[in-house]
Amino acid sequence: MRSVLTVWQAAVLGPMWRSPGRTALTVIVIALGVALGFAVFLINRTAADEISRAARSLYGLADYAIEGDAAGFDELLYPAIARLEGIEAVSPVVEIPAKLADRRGVIRVLGIDAFRARELQPSAANLALAANTVGGVVGSQALTLSASAARDLGLTAGDAIDLQVGMRRERFEIAGVLPGIAFEERAALLDIAVAQWKLDALGKLHRINIRLAPQANAAQVAQAIERLLPPNARLVTPGQSTDDALRLSRAYRANLTALALVALFTGGFLVYSTQTLAILRRRRELALLHALGVTHGRQFVHTLVEAALVGVVGACVGVALGFIVARYALALTGADLGAGYVRTVSASLQVNAFEWLVFVALGTFAAVAGAMYPAIQATREATAKSLKSGDASHAPPRAHGFVALVLALVAGALSFVPAIGELPLAGYAAIAVFILATIIAIPSLLQRGLRPLPTLPFVPAELAIAHLRGSGRYATLSVAAIVVSFSLMVAMLIMVTSFRGSLDAWTEKILPADLYLRVGHVGQTAFLDAAQVRALRAVDGVERSTTARFAQLTLRPDQPPLTLIARDLDPARVAQEVWLTDSSASDVSAEAIPIWISESAADRFDLKPGRVLDLPLGGARERAVIRGVWRDYEHPSGAVLIDRATYVRLTRDDAINAVSFWLAPGASIDAVQEGLRAVLGDRVGDRAQNDQRTKRELRRLSLQVFDRTFAVTYVLEVVAIVIGLFGISAGISAQVLARRTEFGVLRHLGMTRAQIARMLASEGAVLGTLGVVVGLVAGAVISMILIYVVNRQSFHWSMDVFVPTLPLIACSAVLIGAAAAIAVASGRSAMSGEVVRAVKEDW
Amino acid sequence: MLHVDRVTKSFGPRTVLADVSLELHAGQYIAIMGESGVGKSTLLNLIAGLDVPDSGRVAIEGRDLAALDDAERTRLRRARLGFVFQAFHLLPHLTVEKNVALPLALNRIGGSSARERVAELLDAVGLAGRRHAWPRELSGGEMQRVAIARALVHRPALVLADEPTGNLDAESAQQVLALLAAQLARDRAACILVTHSEVAAATTQRILRLTARGIESEPRR
Repeated sequence: MRSVLTVWQAAVLGPMWRSPGRTALTVIVIALGVALGFAVFLINRTAADEISRAARSLYGLADYAIEGDAAGFDELLYPAIARLEGIEAVSPVVEIPAKLADRRGVIRVLGIDAFRARELQPSAANLALAANTVGGVVGSQALTLSASAARDLGLTAGDAIDLQVGMRRERFEIAGVLPGIAFEERAALLDIAVAQWKLDALGKLHRINIRLAPQANAAQVAQAIERLLPPNARLVTPGQSTDDALRLSRAYRANLTALALVALFTGGFLVYSTQTLAILRRRRELALLHALGVTHGRQFVHTLVEAALVGVVGACVGVALGFIVARYALALTGADLGAGYVRTVSASLQVNAFEWLVFVALGTFAAVAGAMYPAIQATREATAKSLKSGDASHAPPRAHGFVALVLALVAGALSFVPAIGELPLAGYAAIAVFILATIIAIPSLLQRGLRPLPTLPFVPAELAIAHLRGSGRYATLSVAAIVVSFSLMVAMLIMVTSFRGSLDAWTEKILPADLYLRVGHVGQTAFLDAAQVRALRAVDGVERSTTARFAQLTLRPDQPPLTLIARDLDPARVAQEVWLTDSSASDVSAEAIPIWISESAADRFDLKPGRVLDLPLGGARERAVIRGVWRDYEHPSGAVLIDRATYVRLTRDDAINAVSFWLAPGASIDAVQEGLRAVLGDRVGDRAQNDQRTKRELRRLSLQVFDRTFAVTYVLEVVAIVIGLFGISAGISAQVLARRTEFGVLRHLGMTRAQIARMLASEGAVLGTLGVVVGLVAGAVISMILIYVVNRQSFHWSMDVFVPTLPLIACSAVLIGAAAAIAVASGRSAMSGEVVRAVKEDW
Repeated sequence: MLHVDRVTKSFGPRTVLADVSLELHAGQYIAIMGESGVGKSTLLNLIAGLDVPDSGRVAIEGRDLAALDDAERTRLRRARLGFVFQAFHLLPHLTVEKNVALPLALNRIGGSSARERVAELLDAVGLAGRRHAWPRELSGGEMQRVAIARALVHRPALVLADEPTGNLDAESAQQVLALLAAQLARDRAACILVTHSEVAAATTQRILRLTARGIESEPRR
């Protein structure tokens, strides 16, 4: 037993203890990678749990629900459904996002029949009924708030809440507050009849929750229900509804996860880098152990066990760190990290042991995978040669140009594969394969990059270049570390800049007016009528205006509805008002209604310009032709643009949600805003008048939202870069520290410390420059995959390429400077002791 | 040319050199022998200006090393000293020619005179035909001959040779020692040869034995 321990001590624990810095570094990077991955996973899972819980509280014990779009469906459907065979309980719901009159924001109002709801949502309905003692859900103009709504609004039982309906104000007493456990959603419960009456939804329902009889054939009942459904309603299961809600944020969450895994990948690469360097340095020691009888197989296992130990320790630290990060991130930004996809109710973080174990295993796997190739290399070192030549290896790295080329082609092919399950999995694979191809190509690129460097009449620089040319394996590892981290940073920088630039250009294009007024949105209670708009148009300084109405459109029952934008449009001038990316010839069917769909709608429903559709509008199906596809960053689920006059004719809905104002020459925007406020102020309180925005304000707001959404990606990117810098540091410092003897010789020959520092700075700068150049090219390629494949497939939006020239130059300079500084600092460390003694092994 | 005057050096409580004195004239070639740990390497460090004595004085060509700062000592070493090591210590990424030319480059001697001097030395050590070879392509004897060329290329006043034959077979050792002696004579450079080998020491003009009591000179042969 003792002898076994001795071998393990010599082969595994010894090297780890001997190089505590290297061991600590690899532990830290694995910990960081795991921490990021675990934190993002926990946050994503919490978001999904929130959405599920919210959906669950809406459904209660229902097996199915009929969901209408924002316009709702006829309430006569309810008795028809209730009479169907196989149905045990039915609960009708009016579901309206109501605009708060005395503050910004919206609250979802659920109009329920408390006695019916009690059968499907017993806890919520019973509590709502119990709260009825001060006002009542039943029949009175009092509502019950969910706990989260009461907390967010700062209201309690006995207070009043004002909701804006059209442009009038409706006051409701708060009868009570439900405990959090009874109803998770941020909502208000109201008697269904009162909701229909007060919120302008007479005769309408938005949802019918259904519970089947115990012996009912679910498929048959579903078929029977579907036969009764109007075009703008669909039958869903609670799971399907949750999926739809999750789908909206799935791509965002998947991209965050991918970015977090990049950090783990970079950590794994650093393990590869440090292990390879360690094995290069320990060639003689490994050869000696082999000569003493340790088999190559055992040495392979030793290397992997060393990596696994590092991985386990790093991963354990990482999961603990990740848990803390997730907890703080949830408290700080909510479950969607500020992106606005999830309206957080009460993000609480719970972790089970299985999740901990999975991430510990993932971190360990990354470390072991990173050590795999070096472990194989260790077994291939020629024992006799290594014993003789010592630890210095001057063998050039093997160039696998053909393999790199094949992998690059595979990456190219993968980038043409469509989304799988609405996620750009092949796009991610393309990026991973391309990075691998780049790493494999580095020896060839290095040889080509160093060959044309001139011989300088400057001894430190000449020695530096000679050293780099002769130390291919070390140089390859250092350059690879730079390329891996820098290319990903460049790619993200180009992608984010392109997105931001495109968003800014898009905002400029779609906001041609001087001033915008929005009153309510899809399905909300607030809106303007024609008379009110006429009064607004009459304000001094207004030259002209256009109006818009927001509604919903269900194209396919198995898909969530699209946003319908009915806007004053001149079909001949649409290209001037929206950002058309594709359009059909104008000689399309004149009888069909012209519509323009967003890229997201085009992708989701596989639609193209020229295609004729039957649109469910105003309770009937209308023939429409797609005249064009437009770029839209506002409606992630997709939008359809239609002329408002046509919309009003077909639906009789003449409500207006948005008005764009063009000012007369010389008119003061402040005076016009004041005039509009005066008109609106006659009808609603002053504090609700802040939906007026100038063009500049809207642009600023959209960029603020963008920056908030991408803030977390910047954080993840910075962590990946820090890990990358660790990699560069490990690569260069290991290389420099292994050269103490050389420095000793140079000191004997009369090189000053400053000259050696200049030599090392030159080496670092050359390595940094090569890494930066390759990283820039690789990053540019990866950014194209991100822009044209990953983003398009994830979010269905196109963008133009904007190159952040100055930031890239600055980052390149910082990285080259960092590489030079790391080399110099490592050199100082290497020469800090009596470096001359390194050559005195024989004195 | 070299004056080592009552030099003492201690490392912690251990005194390695105590009151050691030594004098060497231009062109003189001596051997220092002694048991391991007796302070040979410490003495060479002090002579090379790589370390400073606790007391006493080391002067090369009249310049007291203690009066010089590290940069000045480095410049003095660069211009006036040459080194030959047991393990050769050629720079692996430089060709034979560039290894030999390195001291000239460090002393800012370039152009045709540098090329001629390198060619002359390589010719003298019998490696003119291998000037483009890499160190890894050479035998041990060849590497040490390159090291001798490198040590002498910039015409130093003093060469410090540390067990230059320690890694060589007897025949190569003989060749290297003969070559070193010939080149030293040709360039009128002084040399201190540190060795454990009586055979090697016998090729020098004088043998000094370093002991715990100090330096003892053996009778001239």
